[in-house]
Amino acid sequence: MTSCENTRESIGRWLDGELSAAESEAVRGHVSACAVCDETRRQLEKIGATLKSVLATEAARVELTPFWREVQSRINRKRAWYEDLLDWSRGLLAAPRVAWAVPTVIALLLGLFSLDSYWPGWRIRGSRNSFAAVDSIDAHGRSVALLRENETKTTVIWLYEDQEGENETAEEASKSGPAF
Amino acid sequence: MTDWELVQKCQAGETSAFQELVSRYHQKVYMVILGLLRHREDALEVAQETFFRAYRKINSFQGGSSFYTWIYRIAVNISIDAQRRHKRNPLDFRESMDGVLEAQDEVVRDPFSDVHDRELRENLVKAINELTPEHKAVIVLRTIEGLSYKDIGEILGCSEGTVMSRLHYARKKLQDKLSDFL
Repeated sequence: MTSCENTRESIGRWLDGELSAAESEAVRGHVSACAVCDETRRQLEKIGATLKSVLATEAARVELTPFWREVQSRINRKRAWYEDLLDWSRGLLAAPRVAWAVPTVIALLLGLFSLDSYWPGWRIRGSRNSFAAVDSIDAHGRSVALLRENETKTTVIWLYEDQEGENETAEEASKSGPAF
Repeated sequence: MTDWELVQKCQAGETSAFQELVSRYHQKVYMVILGLLRHREDALEVAQETFFRAYRKINSFQGGSSFYTWIYRIAVNISIDAQRRHKRNPLDFRESMDGVLEAQDEVVRDPFSDVHDRELRENLVKAINELTPEHKAVIVLRTIEGLSYKDIGEILGCSEGTVMSRLHYARKKLQDKLSDFL
């Protein structure tokens, strides 16, 4: 026999007629033999009947003639263009459409930002490109090249001619570090 | 004449066919909306707007689903919009539902139900109002016309499994809250 726990899980679906014939028969058999589960059935039926009673009694007071008159007057009323536009936009932003649109936009943005991993040097902003800026300045008679790859990364390249008598000066300069 | 035949007549320009559809469904649509909004005047306004919008969109209805599924879907969507626009405070809610329950005391006994306990009705209304809009919608749609889980899923745009679990949860909540009155 089906357990009380299983029956209580299925009792709502049984009352709604959403169980298969075999499942339905199992629940019916249990409920007819179990006072606790039968009480659950009675309570659920009472809740349903009371709710229906509350709403049906109220709905019975709504008469067709004045109701239809109001609907008809709305149908016959000439609508302003912006009301049509509002209706159209409501349809566009309807929940099911927005539901797939939001993750799609997120996926597109993530793809856009991760493009740099696949194509190094690719940037969203136009001002940043794959070309490094190279500046050349003169320091103590030698040329220093600055390679700017981006805003935070700068590579310093010392360029000097390997001439005798100038080696000592070059070593001193390299010990003292860059002059900027 | 079937609903679909009336819809086709309406699509051909016969307004009287639409009037017949309104006469068939206006009370049921009103019940669904009242169950969701819990305010008589708002429910009436939304019900009329529902049929107006259905009329304007009638040409887009191709008969893929039942007319009642389609009209209930419009009603639920407008009700949810209305709920967002007019978030009433608890005092407004009590007054509006007191009006509904007092009106019921004036009418004769309901032939559809054995239960006429005012305390149970009041607490049921209160308990339903404490449910989320999603749980409220499934319990109201199921109760009013005994719609199948498939139809409810179509109306609310969710799966049958979701309808089933929401119904189970909503009933459990109601049962817990109303145990002293059942």
